[in-house]
Amino acid sequence: MLVNFVSYIAQGTAITLGVTAVALPMGLVLGLLIALVHVYGGRLASGIATYYSTILRGIPPIVLLFILYFVISGAINLSPFWAGSLSLGIISSAYQLEILRGALLSVGSGQMMAARAIGMSRLTAVRYIVLPQALRLAIPPWSNEAAIVLKDSSLVYALGVAEILRRAQLLSASTQRPFLAYGTAAAIYFLLVFAVNRLLDLLERRTRIPSHP
Amino acid sequence: MKRFLASTLLVILILASLAACGPQKAANHLEAIKQAGTIKVGTSADYPPFESVDANGNKIGFDIDLMSEVANRLGVKLEWVDMPFDSLIAAVQEGKIDMAISAFNYSEERDQQIDFSEAYYTSEDSFMVAEGFTGQISNPEDVAAYKVGVQTSTTQDSWLTDNLVTPGLLSEENIFRYDRVDQAAMDLTAGRIDVLMSDYVPAQALEKQLGGLKIVYHGVLSSGPVNMVIPEGDAELKAELDKIIQQLIDEGFIDELAMKHIGAQ
Repeated sequence: MLVNFVSYIAQGTAITLGVTAVALPMGLVLGLLIALVHVYGGRLASGIATYYSTILRGIPPIVLLFILYFVISGAINLSPFWAGSLSLGIISSAYQLEILRGALLSVGSGQMMAARAIGMSRLTAVRYIVLPQALRLAIPPWSNEAAIVLKDSSLVYALGVAEILRRAQLLSASTQRPFLAYGTAAAIYFLLVFAVNRLLDLLERRTRIPSHP
Repeated sequence: MKRFLASTLLVILILASLAACGPQKAANHLEAIKQAGTIKVGTSADYPPFESVDANGNKIGFDIDLMSEVANRLGVKLEWVDMPFDSLIAAVQEGKIDMAISAFNYSEERDQQIDFSEAYYTSEDSFMVAEGFTGQISNPEDVAAYKVGVQTSTTQDSWLTDNLVTPGLLSEENIFRYDRVDQAAMDLTAGRIDVLMSDYVPAQALEKQLGGLKIVYHGVLSSGPVNMVIPEGDAELKAELDKIIQQLIDEGFIDELAMKHIGAQ
């Protein structure tokens, strides 16, 4: 009985990981591109990037989720899974953009000047001088964002995707054991976030530049 | 030569399968469901005894058994789509699901957005309190003196809003709206609310399972007929469902289900 109970909730883990596996890399790619535009682009491009970040950070993920699923369904018919993954990815891109922008800016501007002085193009300098340092610096704040996206993936429950939270709700309703149901869900989320953070810690240590703060 | 044969066969197979599922546009929604061979039905499986899941995750309940039989008679496979109650009507409107069955009561407000099948069951409302409750509830309006809990966007929610909140009898701070009725019942046990208004049948189930609660009133206020929800203007699907529901009532199938899941009719 207890084994069934826990395993039923744990089966939602695949969906939680699936949503995260779409949203997080999507946010990273979008966020990185826009962060580069923000920092190195012209005034106009940089202004657009600012609007992008300000607007998207102002929308709750669940609102965007309902917009993608219900409002635009006439134009594009997204499944609940994709509506959820895409909306989380889009929102996350705005936060990752700010994380990466901070990391890019924390690489001293003297380095760019030096790279330009020895004849590198701006693009080459970004690729070989700035990015390798900035991405390393971004890991600790980025692991925060990874944990947030992982936990926010529970929002797809609102569209009926049977992830961890929805499964816990269903069992709580049918068995009247809310403590066990939500306790199990909390434990699973904790284990997932713990594992992700440990992995990123490891990555941070592995890629640390010797004698670099 | 062998390879050539194999690839020719493959091409023929692909063409044949393309022709089979070719562009025969269905005349209406019912035809489309029959052509697909599957009906996608939404429910919010957190509402025993109408719909819930057992510890293995299988859907069980009155609506679940009823819909399985309806799908049989339609001659299609049944695909359940679980989602929170207040997302169901939007999902039917947007065509995300073919229909929904989730102990829906008829209401005019809902009828403007979607259509209802004929009723397959009649439900009552109830007021439930904790056993130590010392107040007096002899008329439904009496609950205005207490903190009242209700499930969001149910007919009970509308009844409380229209009859008590809008006339100013019950202040907005004293009505507590919950995502699900079992959450509200737990808050009733914990003393955060004084009265819970809900369907009578689920209230009886909660009274039995949770303990420490008692039902002090039941009768028809907001509820009444329980119907299936189908897309607005979908006359063919409605006609077919109504026919099957009438058959099931005549055969006593629905009475049997009510006996089995609810213990009364």
